[in-house]
Amino acid sequence: MQNTFIGKNPSVLWFLLGLSVFTVVVTLCSEALGADIISTSFLKTLGKTLCLCLVAIAMDVVWGYCGILSLGHFAFFGIGGYAIGMWLMYARTEDIVVASLQNATLPPTPDEVTTAIGSQIFGVVGSSDFPMIWALSHSLTLQLLAVVLVPGLLALVFGWLAFRSRVTGVYLSILTQAMTLALSLYFFQNDTGLRGNNGLSGLQNVPGLEAVSQATLSLWFFWGSAFALGAGYVLFAWIVSGKLGSVIRAIRDNEARVRFLGYHVESYKLFVFTVTAMVAGIAGALYYPQAGIINPAEIAPIASIYLAVWVAIGGRGRLYGAVIGAAVVSLMSSWFTGGAAPDINLGFYVVQWTDWWLVLLGLTFVVVTLFFPKGIGGVFDLIAKRKGDTA
Amino acid sequence: MRHAFLALMILMGSVLAVSAQTLQPILQTHTDEIASPSRNSVSVALDDLVASGVPQVTDFLEQWVERNIWQRDDGVFYIAVEDGDELTLTDIDTGAQSMAPAAGFTQLRPNGGVRRVIGTALVQFQLLDPDLTRRETAVASIARRPEAGQLAPLLASIDGETDAALKARKVQLANFMSARFADSPADRIAAITSLSADTSVEARAVLNQILSTSSGVAERAPDGNIAMIHDPMLDPEASYGLLVEADLAPPRQTPSDIRTTLEANIDADTIAGFAVAEMNDPAKREAAYAALSDAGLAPLLITAPVRDAALSAHVFYDLYDEDDVEITAAASIALRSVETRVSTAQAVDLTLDALSLASIFFLAAIGLAITFGVMGVINMAHGEFIMMGAYTGFVVQQFIPNYTVSIIVALPLAFAVTFAAGVAMERLVIRHLYHRPLETLLATFGISIALQQLAKNIFGTQARPLTSPDWLAGAWVLNDVIQISYIRIAIFVLALIFLGLILYILKRTRLGLEVRAVTQNPGMASSMGINPDRINMMTFGLGSGIAGIAGVAIGLYAKVTSEMGSDYIVQSFMTVVVGGVGNVWGTLAGAAMIGFGQKGIEWLNPSNTLAAQTYMILFVILFIQFRPKGIVALKGRAAGD
Repeated sequence: MQNTFIGKNPSVLWFLLGLSVFTVVVTLCSEALGADIISTSFLKTLGKTLCLCLVAIAMDVVWGYCGILSLGHFAFFGIGGYAIGMWLMYARTEDIVVASLQNATLPPTPDEVTTAIGSQIFGVVGSSDFPMIWALSHSLTLQLLAVVLVPGLLALVFGWLAFRSRVTGVYLSILTQAMTLALSLYFFQNDTGLRGNNGLSGLQNVPGLEAVSQATLSLWFFWGSAFALGAGYVLFAWIVSGKLGSVIRAIRDNEARVRFLGYHVESYKLFVFTVTAMVAGIAGALYYPQAGIINPAEIAPIASIYLAVWVAIGGRGRLYGAVIGAAVVSLMSSWFTGGAAPDINLGFYVVQWTDWWLVLLGLTFVVVTLFFPKGIGGVFDLIAKRKGDTA
Repeated sequence: MRHAFLALMILMGSVLAVSAQTLQPILQTHTDEIASPSRNSVSVALDDLVASGVPQVTDFLEQWVERNIWQRDDGVFYIAVEDGDELTLTDIDTGAQSMAPAAGFTQLRPNGGVRRVIGTALVQFQLLDPDLTRRETAVASIARRPEAGQLAPLLASIDGETDAALKARKVQLANFMSARFADSPADRIAAITSLSADTSVEARAVLNQILSTSSGVAERAPDGNIAMIHDPMLDPEASYGLLVEADLAPPRQTPSDIRTTLEANIDADTIAGFAVAEMNDPAKREAAYAALSDAGLAPLLITAPVRDAALSAHVFYDLYDEDDVEITAAASIALRSVETRVSTAQAVDLTLDALSLASIFFLAAIGLAITFGVMGVINMAHGEFIMMGAYTGFVVQQFIPNYTVSIIVALPLAFAVTFAAGVAMERLVIRHLYHRPLETLLATFGISIALQQLAKNIFGTQARPLTSPDWLAGAWVLNDVIQISYIRIAIFVLALIFLGLILYILKRTRLGLEVRAVTQNPGMASSMGINPDRINMMTFGLGSGIAGIAGVAIGLYAKVTSEMGSDYIVQSFMTVVVGGVGNVWGTLAGAAMIGFGQKGIEWLNPSNTLAAQTYMILFVILFIQFRPKGIVALKGRAAGD
């Protein structure tokens, strides 16, 4: 029992059980099945939260287990979103254009169709030509591959450059932050061909599924996100347990000693960095069709730092900690900034949460870092300890 | 015959006689031209007026342009000012004033074109006017719209000019105008050659006007001063467009033209024998169109070979507007020499720009470099300290309206505020995290979020101005190419002062000695009686205080917003990392490299400053590969992690 996968990772069973129960309950309450308890927009929020949990466990593996504080994983998330968004936008515009040209006196030539799609998509940036970067956007298969391969390749090249010159610690964090900034500035330019600061929009409509209502579609995406989160959890639990996991944790604790033991530290780090980047890309590809819109502001360096905040608050070095952190903080953020939280009247000043939530979050973060380095997940340790005491 | 001759003599005599003193008779001989002038007819009258040499002419012309000349019903002209129904009349010759009802008078209203002609005639009088401002206005008006006729009066006025500056300006302007309008080609070439050392925009404009061309297309090259023959095949589409414009070829059908023609010729389900359903194939469309055109239902399809044949049958040329080959040759040589000088000047200007950007980066990063170098602590809230300093400056300006005084107060105050904030942060947070450097990054980031939002809550989201005093407004203009604003010079000087100050503190004071000791070996320093806690606190305060001063400086030339810190934080980190940690000279080198690099990339691609930042960051990432410890790396034990 001790040597089986489940034996080493008791949290996997509990997590999968909890996730399944949660999925079933949400499904039963959803609008698509007639019950009106969970609205479609809230269902989308829940689905998006699951995607954020997925990228958070990726972040946890790379930071909490391997000790690389990457401030670039949300950029990989965004790249995944852009990759799927390009197909969604192209295919949907193509459908619309073909439908509108149906009634033309002459059947349209392929050139006419492409030009019409181009002027639909790039009209906002004053162009109608397809940039090189859209060359694969007509194919769902290729764009799905891009969701995984582009972040993976970027992480591989960047990680190889960084790890081989032994950039570690805060230096590495700053370098990843610079990479993120460079990426977001690159995406902001109109010349890049990704519609500049307009970003990609209308992603909630999936081509070929126009007949399916948004309520049902959201449920499907919710299931997809739940499945991806479960699969990701199992994958990462498998990676961090066993010998591979031991080496990874050893690198976090004392890199030099692992190197002296004969391990090729760079390869391990590169593996972790790349795999987590790919998973982040997948999470992004599931997130943005539910959000409906993606723009370069999403991948600004601040987003990646928030990702680190979630993981730190949830508890580093334990996968469920990352899930808890991401879910709690992101849901609370949308509750507080959405204006739903009641204002506090101090008599001389009314605290409006839309203004003060970030102040609270920042200070909470400082307090957690200072006094509760184990985060919310640390509570489970306390419970386990109590149990151990009584037993 | 004799009578006629006598009459003529009398008439001429009388004109000559009165012309010495009075203007009115001359005006009367040109009543029609003056009362209802056109651009062509008015010059006849003006020529006579100018030739007469009557002193009142200047005043008359000025009043005429100002529409202050009125004509009485019997034809006599007066200078008049309208006041209700009454006119205050001034006699043109005697200057005697009188009043009269406006009913018997008509105002002269010369139109814009006529006023310009009058103005040209007026200039030669104004050039010799005893009043200096009038002469300056006249010179300025010539410079605005130089005309050939003005060259002679301008040249004539140079010798008598008493004001030295205006005389120099007249000589310069006369030179510009000789280059364009002088009578003999030799004079023009001499003037043009003298311009080859002049980088002013005006001189370049003169040369470019001489070299102005008009492009054209014809079957064979025309006679004249040809500037250039183009190869139409470089851009066949555009060249063909020129042919079409010149009516030398039929327009090329666009795909949508073809579609329209096809649509107009649908017969049942076919077009010229081709099925409509097949028309999604471009080749079939062309075939159908060709069939239509054979049947005479559409113009011939211009395919690429047809287009190329038309292109090769024509010559595409640029023709100089100036006919004299020698003059255009001299002007090209002069312009080339001017352009060489201009690019040298631009390089100097770019260097100055880069220098000022580098000094901003240096100011923003030096505080960070100190804390990072001495304590190994990354302060993500450093940008917010910059913002705090800028807002301190803004608040001070709310209380002290004198900008000079307020800046003098704001600089030390900003230092004090951010010093205190830095010390507080070190005591409350960072002290607990010395052995967990990654977590200082996170904790200071939490502070940065909170501070940024706090600033937003207090000062609002809109940008706040931090106004610089008058003596810092404006720019130091070296010539038309090189200029740098005083504020940037001030920032450069400030950066120099801080470089000196920090070097002094670190190398020459007790505090500096202790800081260096703690940097190199905290344990050893502590056993020698140095209190590392106190040193850390002081260093952190110092670093933060400098950020505050940098904030005031940055706020002066950019706007103060709650997000201004995050605009500089990544660049500051880059500066520190590239320069090498723990060394003031390293930070200087890093700032210089990033400043010059960014300006250099901007120069290569001026339309896109975002791209410059992107490529600069990529460059830094690659640079770290080759020098992981930065430009100035610490050696030996001090470099130990």
